[in-house]
Amino acid sequence: MNLRIIHANIIRANIIVSIKSFYREKTVVFFRIAFPVILILVFGTIFMERDNEIFELSIQDLSRTTSSEQLVEALDQSERFNITPVSPDVDAKQYARDNKLNLIVIIPENFEISLMEKMAAGHFETPVTLTKVYDPGSFGVTTKIGVLDMALAKINQEMSGNPPLIASEPVSILKKKYRFIEFFVPGIIAMAVMTASLFGSVNVNAELLQKGVIRKLSTTPITRIDWILSNVLYQFILAVVSTAVMLLVSYAVFKVSLEINAWLVVFVALDVFAFVGLGMILTRVAREAESASAAADALMFPMMFLSGTFFPVEMMPEFLQTFARILPLYYVNEGLRAAMIAVDHTAALKCALIIGAFAAVVFVLGIMTTRIGGETP
Amino acid sequence: MIQNSKYAIEVNNLTKHYKGLSAVDNISFAVERGEVFALLGPNGAGKTTTVEILNTIRKPTSGKVMLLGMDVTQKKYDIIPRIGVLPQGFSSFDRITVKETLQYYSRLFCRKKPDIQGLMKLVNLKDKAAVQYKNLSGGLKQRLGIAVALVNDPEIVFLDEPTTGLDPLARRAMWEVLLDLKKNGKTLFLTTHYMEEAELLADTVSIVKKGKIFAMGSPGELIESNADYLVVMLKSVDETVFDIVEKMGFAPEYDSHGHITVRLAHTDDVRRILNAVRESGASFTGLDVRKPNLEEVFLKLTDDTFLKSVAGIEEAQ
Repeated sequence: MNLRIIHANIIRANIIVSIKSFYREKTVVFFRIAFPVILILVFGTIFMERDNEIFELSIQDLSRTTSSEQLVEALDQSERFNITPVSPDVDAKQYARDNKLNLIVIIPENFEISLMEKMAAGHFETPVTLTKVYDPGSFGVTTKIGVLDMALAKINQEMSGNPPLIASEPVSILKKKYRFIEFFVPGIIAMAVMTASLFGSVNVNAELLQKGVIRKLSTTPITRIDWILSNVLYQFILAVVSTAVMLLVSYAVFKVSLEINAWLVVFVALDVFAFVGLGMILTRVAREAESASAAADALMFPMMFLSGTFFPVEMMPEFLQTFARILPLYYVNEGLRAAMIAVDHTAALKCALIIGAFAAVVFVLGIMTTRIGGETP
Repeated sequence: MIQNSKYAIEVNNLTKHYKGLSAVDNISFAVERGEVFALLGPNGAGKTTTVEILNTIRKPTSGKVMLLGMDVTQKKYDIIPRIGVLPQGFSSFDRITVKETLQYYSRLFCRKKPDIQGLMKLVNLKDKAAVQYKNLSGGLKQRLGIAVALVNDPEIVFLDEPTTGLDPLARRAMWEVLLDLKKNGKTLFLTTHYMEEAELLADTVSIVKKGKIFAMGSPGELIESNADYLVVMLKSVDETVFDIVEKMGFAPEYDSHGHITVRLAHTDDVRRILNAVRESGASFTGLDVRKPNLEEVFLKLTDDTFLKSVAGIEEAQ
C-alpha cells in the first residue's frame, strides 16, 4: 500500500472529471439534486397538514334544538373541526359507509330535554350521551375521537361553571417550538447525503473497475489516498450543493426555523467520509457491480427507516431502538437535529465524535482495499 | 543477471503464480532502448500477466524485473512517470471528450505544458477533440488509448493487444501510429495475436505458451531457425491430386478455399509433385511457392496439431 503522498493536482483533476461527468448525465443530476427536494416538498406538505390538523367531522342533529345548535357551535369554535351536517332522515351507519366517513356524531332526539332536566336537578352522574358512529379500520380515527373527547370535556367543564382542579402547562426542552417539518429536513439531508455518497461511490468505482479504467489509472502516479480523497471531496461538493438546495426550498416553501451553523458542514462532511469509504469497501468485497449495488441497498434501507430519518426512533419497539443506535446514520440524524433544532453543542459533539470514529475506520479500510495503485493483498 | 544499461527492460527468472497455477514460469529476456519487442502467444499464455508485472500493476512471485535500471517492486512511483501503458481493452470516462481525456491524464502526470494538440495530431484525432469517449468507434478509442499512453512522453510504451477487435482498416491506421513511434525512437513492448503486426513492427519477437518462452529472436531469425521449408499451394485442383501427394509421403491439407497446401523440405520435392500430377492427367489452375511466415512459426511452436503436420518435414531434413 502506498500512502506516501497526497497530490493536490491529481485530486483536482479527478474532481474536474467527476463534476463534468456528473452534469453531463442529466438523470444523475435529477436524482442527486431534485429528488431529495421532491421528498421534502411531498412529505413537508403532508406534515404541514398534520401540524395544523383540522378534522372533518359529520354531525347528525336529531334534536334540532337551541341546545344542540349551541353544542355544534361550541365544537366549531374549538377550531379543530370542519363540521358537516348530516340529515336527520338518514341512517348514520349506512351514510358513513356510502360516503366513506370515518366518524359521525349523533345528537339524540331528547338531547335538550335530558340536558335541562339534569341541570335543573343538579346531578351530573349520568351524562347525556352522544353516539359516535365510527369506522375502526380508518387510519387516524382514534386521534380524531381523542380530539373530539377533549373538546367535549372542555365544553362540559365550562357548562358546569367550575374551574378545573388540575391544569398543566407545557414547557419545551427546546428554545422554541418546532414543527414536524423541522424534524424532517435534517433527516432528509442526512439520508440524501448518505445515499448519494454510498451509491455514488459504489456505482462509479464498480463501473470504472469493470471497464478497466481503474487498471489504466493504476499505471499513473495516482495513489490510493489520492483516489479516495478525490471521491470524498467530489461527493462533498455535491453534498454541499444538494444540502443548500434542500435548505433553500425548505426555507422558501415551509419557512422552517432551522439553525445553520458549522455543525451542519461537519456532519455533512462526516456523512460523506463514512459512506464513500463504505462504498469503496463494498466495491472491493462484492467484485461485481450488481452485487456491490445490492450490498449497498442491503445496508442503506435499514438505515433509512430505522435510524430516525422519517420518524423519531422513540416510536419504535425497544429492541429496534437498540439496533438503531448501532447505525451510523442515527448519529448523523441526531447530530444534525442537535445542531439545527436544539442548538445543543454538547450533544452535537458527542454524535460527531461517534460518526467521526466510524468514518476514520472506514476511510482507512477503504484506502487499504481500493485497487488503484496496484495489486491488493 | 543482465546489467547492461543499454537495456530498457530486463527480466530475469520471472515467475507468477495464482492460487497454485503458474501464469508466468521462469522467463527471462531483455529489451534494448529504442527496440520494438513483441510478445506473442495464444490466449492464457501469460502475456498480460507479464505486461502487468512490467507495468508495476502486479507483483511477481519470484524473479527480478528492472525497468530503466530500476526494480519494479521497489521503485514503482519512480518508474511510472517514465512509462506509458495501453492496457488490454483500454477504456475511459464515457462523458469526457477526447481533448479533456488527454488533459486529465496530463494532469495526473503533472505535465505543465502538455502538447495535447500534438498528441491528437499524432493519433489523427484532431477532428474528434470535442467528441465524448462513449461516442467514439472502437478504432478511435484505441487511438485515444495510445495518445493517453504518450501524455507523459514516456521512454517505454507498453501496448497490450493494441489492435484486438479492430477492423482491418482501423488496424492499419493503428500500425501507422506505432510505426511513427518506432521512428521516434520509443522503446515499444507489444503483445499481440496478430503475426502480421509483429512481423511488421517488431525487432524482436518472443513466443510464449503456458507461461514459458518457446522461441525468441527477430522475425527473420525465428522463421529461419524454426521453419526451414517451403509452402506449396496448388489451386483449383482435381480431387485425385490430394491422394497423389499423400501417396508420395507428404502431408497435404485443404485450406478454407479448397486449395491444397503442402510443406516441403526441398525444392526438388516441388518438381516431383508437379511431375506426378501431370503424369496422372489431373489438373490445377494455379501454383504458389513461398517461404513460411511468422504465423507458421507461431503455429508450429504453439499448436500441437500443426506441430505434427510439420514433424515429417523435419525428419526428412
